[in-house]
Amino acid sequence: MSRTIKNYIDGGWLASGASTLMPVHDPATCEHLADCPDSTAADVDLAVRAAKAAFDEWRSTPVLVRAQYMHHFKVMVEDNFEEISRIVVKEHGKTMDEARGEVRRGIESIDFAMSVPVLMRSDGLEDISSGIDETTVRQPAGVFAAITPFNFPFMVPLWFLPTAITCGNTFILKPSPQTPLSTEYLFEMLDELDLPEGVVNLVNGAVPSATALMEHPDVTGVSFVGSSAVAKIIYETCTRNGKRVQAQGGAKNYIAVMPDADIEASVKNILGAAYGCAGQRCLAAAVAVGVGDAYDALKDELAKQVADLKVGYGLDETTQMGTVISDSAKERIETMIAQSATEGADVVVDGRDYNVNGYENGSWVGPTLIADVQPNTTMANEEVFGPVLALMKADSFDDAVDIINQSRYGNAASIFTSNGKNAREFKYNVNAGNIGVNIGVAAPSASFPFGGQKDSFFGDLHGQGMDSIEFYTERKIVIERWV
Amino acid sequence: MSSLNTFGAILSYAAEMEAQLCDWYSGMGEAAKAKAADKRRKKLERVRRENVVEITLEPIAGLDAADYALDLADASREGQAAVADIAARFYRDVAPKINVRAAQRALERCGREHAR
Repeated sequence: MSRTIKNYIDGGWLASGASTLMPVHDPATCEHLADCPDSTAADVDLAVRAAKAAFDEWRSTPVLVRAQYMHHFKVMVEDNFEEISRIVVKEHGKTMDEARGEVRRGIESIDFAMSVPVLMRSDGLEDISSGIDETTVRQPAGVFAAITPFNFPFMVPLWFLPTAITCGNTFILKPSPQTPLSTEYLFEMLDELDLPEGVVNLVNGAVPSATALMEHPDVTGVSFVGSSAVAKIIYETCTRNGKRVQAQGGAKNYIAVMPDADIEASVKNILGAAYGCAGQRCLAAAVAVGVGDAYDALKDELAKQVADLKVGYGLDETTQMGTVISDSAKERIETMIAQSATEGADVVVDGRDYNVNGYENGSWVGPTLIADVQPNTTMANEEVFGPVLALMKADSFDDAVDIINQSRYGNAASIFTSNGKNAREFKYNVNAGNIGVNIGVAAPSASFPFGGQKDSFFGDLHGQGMDSIEFYTERKIVIERWV
Repeated sequence: MSSLNTFGAILSYAAEMEAQLCDWYSGMGEAAKAKAADKRRKKLERVRRENVVEITLEPIAGLDAADYALDLADASREGQAAVADIAARFYRDVAPKINVRAAQRALERCGREHAR
């Protein structure tokens, strides 16, 4: 019999008042892992009240003590590293290496939070006028929330929670209802930390709980990662309700491959970028633009290496690509592949109707390579969020940059080249928030802000890095004269 | 495991091999060798945990676990030497395939220890 996941509110596990349950499946085996409640506005209100009540005591807890909690938290995550990785594989369908990589990057965010005592320090100036001194102090701003996606169920919450609470705020997490198990585990560890009750809270659910968080008057700010359509709604709703908001949206990430690039080595890295996490990441390589002579060489080498990828169950260490998240995702991706063929593209490697022995009911889409994709087609412009790499041809470097800059998205773009001038021009001219040079997945480490431009980001301050310190603190100016 | 085609597959195979060797050496009363194998296993598990770099995960080709099968039925001095040779060869072959230098270094060191 399936169990129903509980919320974590005010230092304890609490059943949601929801009448609707959403099943959580292992997308490879179809095993019914648990049921996730679609928590209500009343559940959210309980969490916000707890977070608000905890704020005063927590903000006055010395920052070094708050950072020390993160030290203990990191040790717990390290101690449970393999178990967490396995949970991520089971709820998401990615490979063990990808899950371990995700947990590792989550730990990097905890590391970053340990530096909050340094990063929260402020500055001052004596004698701005005779005998008058002026200083700034950073103070925590209140109750923050994060609404996080299915594709990195353990890592993305850690972009926000550790820094938010180490800055002295209290926090509410609403994870994706498709992948709530690793965050449940995360809160079991947080529970062991003995943080003051109400400092961290977990509300499981979908739209009703997200809406309640965005509309609750006692929530100061909201972080979101998901699709652009939803990111825009989140941004508009939060700003309408007077909140801080950082909403990271979808993407269509381009990779330019120059004729001077090492094609074989580039393709090896592009494979990871395009098919890692079965293409379900906002930094996934979606379109490879072969410049001039590079196009044919790129197409041939990709076709060869893509066909060799081993698709399977993520808990098998030899699996190189796992499933997509659900049957509905599979159907959507396969429809887009079919549409691309209708629009005249050449489906070189077709991942539709893919199957894996022993896992016949899984949500499989094989690695797909589509060549001769034309501008103004669906495949060139719309996010697939699946293991599909489109190939486009550009006559020159400038044409490649034009193709990339025409996208309505601006999350990431990469160039593969051995020419420094090309790399410099690319960094300078391409309108994307994360630029890779000979790196297919330009994922910023925790001490840098996670970039994103155009329809890939709505807000002012990004997640991670110094932006996160700005987001989670209020600066107060103090002007003093003692006579 | 038929193929060593991912970072995790290689590190897990290495850790499992060291665990087997630890048991094997323990069974024949070679306490120092057993302890060294266990130390290597722990190090490999740490390396697997700490050095998996999401942005540079790439498929690995050209390695097969079958090429490194250990014959643990022969506990003679010659048998032990043969096992150490295979383990050393394994580490020599896999280290260059890993694109994270810290992990590569750990594998190289394991190989050197077996080659002694």
